[in-house]
Order: sequence, then C-alpha cells, then structure tokens
Amino acid sequence: MSNVAGKAYGMNVMTPLRWWTAIWQKVIFWVVVKTFPYFLKGLLTLSLIHYARWTIINRWSFPRLDKSQPKEKLTYSYMLFESNFNGSWDQYIDSFSFAIPSGLDMFWRWNIKYPKSIPLHDFYHYIRFNQVECDHYYNAYPLASANDVKSAQALYADLAAFADSSEALSDDAFAAAWQQFLADNQHSLGSMGTSPLMSTSNQLVQEHHHDDLQLAARQTQQEEA
Amino acid sequence: MANKFGNSYGLTTLCPLINGHQQHTSFDKITRHRIQLLEENSGSPFARIPDTYFARLFILNDVFFEQGNNVARDHLQSKYLVFTSNFHGDLEPYLQGMWNNAEADVRHIWQYAVAFDKVQNAADFIRYIKRCQLTTTLFFNGSTDDSLQQQLKSLYVKQAFTEFALQHQGKPVAELRAAFKTFMQQLQIDNIETPSWQPGQTQL
Repeated sequence: MSNVAGKAYGMNVMTPLRWWTAIWQKVIFWVVVKTFPYFLKGLLTLSLIHYARWTIINRWSFPRLDKSQPKEKLTYSYMLFESNFNGSWDQYIDSFSFAIPSGLDMFWRWNIKYPKSIPLHDFYHYIRFNQVECDHYYNAYPLASANDVKSAQALYADLAAFADSSEALSDDAFAAAWQQFLADNQHSLGSMGTSPLMSTSNQLVQEHHHDDLQLAARQTQQEEA
Repeated sequence: MANKFGNSYGLTTLCPLINGHQQHTSFDKITRHRIQLLEENSGSPFARIPDTYFARLFILNDVFFEQGNNVARDHLQSKYLVFTSNFHGDLEPYLQGMWNNAEADVRHIWQYAVAFDKVQNAADFIRYIKRCQLTTTLFFNGSTDDSLQQQLKSLYVKQAFTEFALQHQGKPVAELRAAFKTFMQQLQIDNIETPSWQPGQTQL
C-alpha cells in the first residue's frame, strides 16, 4: 500500500476531458506513435521512466459486465496516466516540467482545468489533486533503476562476447583487451544497493503493513469471539 | 493505439465492484483492505506470475477533479478495482500464468467484482479480464522488452561483474586471468535461470 516499490514510484493520474476533445487527443497520440521517436525523444532523454502509458476512457467505455451493474452517466471522458519511474514525486514532476514542457502540454492540453506545465506550482497542484494512490504496487527489481536494466542488458552481451574473444589471447594481449573492455563498459558498471528514498519508504511501508496486519488479526479475534 | 511496445505489454483493466456490503463494510472497502494486506516485493503474488515487470492494484472510488461553476459534476455509479500490469509477451499466456500461479490470490482479490462469480477456470479468467480491459492509447517503454528472466540475469551479471572488477584492479595479468576464468564459470552467463536475481528481491 504504497506508491513506492524499491527505486520505482507508481503514479496514477485520472483527468477529465470533453468527449469530443478526447477523440482529438487520441489523434494526437496516434501522430506521436507514428512519428516516434521525435516527440518521445524528451522522454527517452529523461531516462528515469521504466514504462508509462496514457489510456483515454470514453465516457461510454467504462466496463459494464452485467445488467445488475448501474450504467455510468458521465459528462466527461477520462484520461488515465500511469507511470513507473525512478526517484521521488517531486523529482519526476520537476524533470517533466523542465525537460519537456511542450510535450506535457501536448498530452494534457484538452484536459479540464489543466493549467499548463509552467508555472510549476499550478502543475504540482493539478497532478496532486488528480492523483489516485496505489493500494498495492509491485516491482520485479526493486534494487534497479531503468538505467540499471538497460546498462545491464548491454554489459551482459559485451561480457559474453569478451569472454569468448579473449580466451585465445596471450597474457599481454589479454591485459590490453581487459583495460579496453573496462573503458568501453565503464558506464554500465555500478553497484545497485538500496537508495535512501527506498530505505525510508520501505520502512514506512513495513510499519503500515505491520499495523494493518495487527488490525486484521484483532478483527478476526473479535469475529471469532 | 496499442497495448504492445516491442515485446512488452501494457495491460489496463477497470473491474467494476458490486455495490453492496457485508456486515456494515462495503465491498470496495473489503477489497481495498485485502489488497493492502498483500505481501510486498518478493512476497507479492505478482512475484510468482511469470514475466511481470510491474503491476499495481487500486480502487477507483470516484472521479475527483477540480470542479467549479463552469464544469459539470461527474460521479461514478460503480467503484472499480483497477488492475494494471507491464509484462513481457502476450496477454493470454500471461493471464494463464497468473491464474496458474496465483489462483487463490486472484479469487480473494476479485471476489466482490461484478460477474467474477462466473469465473471458474483460467479460460473464464482470461475472458473476464478481456471484458474489463481498456486499450492503451499511448504506451512508452523506457526500459527493455527482454523476458523478465533475461533482465534479472543481466542485473545479476552487472552486480557480480562490478564487484569482480573492483576487487581485481591492479592484479597481475596471470592472476586476473585465472580469477576471470573461475568467475565466468560461476556466473554461468548462458544459463539465465541460475545464478540470478529473484523477482522482487530487495537484498543483494
């Protein structure tokens, strides 16, 4: 029951937009996909996102699975934004706002009451107000950042190739190749310990989880009594 | 308008909950409490579901936004269990793996969802989730789309090799070479199953 799982933060933001602008928004996203990577270059440059997605839910598209379920009667369509990123909430919003303000405005421009990404204070308020907290958030590699995952992939391939290619070398040639290999892959090296944010957050999660488990145990005892 | 980006899949679902209660507690509150009590990290049910990169669960009680005199007031008629996942591969095998590896958790979490009482097996579960699924409008992958096992093995290799390189700085070449050979044998770089990191692992 936390938005933090290791080095990742899980954000959910649900914002309304008029049904006809929702259609235009879909066209914009379609253009972004077709012209990728130009428009998403800023996101790649930020390099702190594992995965992110925007889902436009038309006002008539909320799942209705049974006649017993009341029909939704909504004025607006909605956009659900979800992100898995490294760092704190503030760092993420700051990075987005400073690095790709025009990109943000393009993605949210038709959302009701969207204040634009600059000035920052109004943008902070908008995201905070429309954010929905995670009740359970899972990350398969809490110790790793998105850059760790990418650099690990590169190092894995290079190390396998180096092990094969260096086997038949003389000692002198091996020493030179080793130095070259380390120099070429220095950006992929680094230990992945826990981060201060991760430790603090994890401690809070454990405390809350402990409290919840105790509460659940007391409720069970009361029900049994 | 795609749920896939390379080999990675972005699943978004809104699962309506039954409007009702049990012993003065509404079904959405019971469901939220159950979700909040799930174990974290390697103890999470998602750690048992193959190829899950990230997953989350939350309850959407209503649509909350800054209303005012110049905008309409919207309220949802149902509360929704929102389940989203980022994983490697295709949807049906993933949901099959979810059912096979975490059936008890799935039944516990979705117990009060509309029409979930008709879900009896993996095929039903796949059909049910597809009915709740929303198509992703824009999916961005800032990581890799390798299988989770490959990602975890690569992270294990990165950590182990970094430590090896640090420990062997300035060593004579013969010693370095012998140690590297032993290291690579222990690393078993072509065996992606072991040694490796475990899903949700929080300690080195």
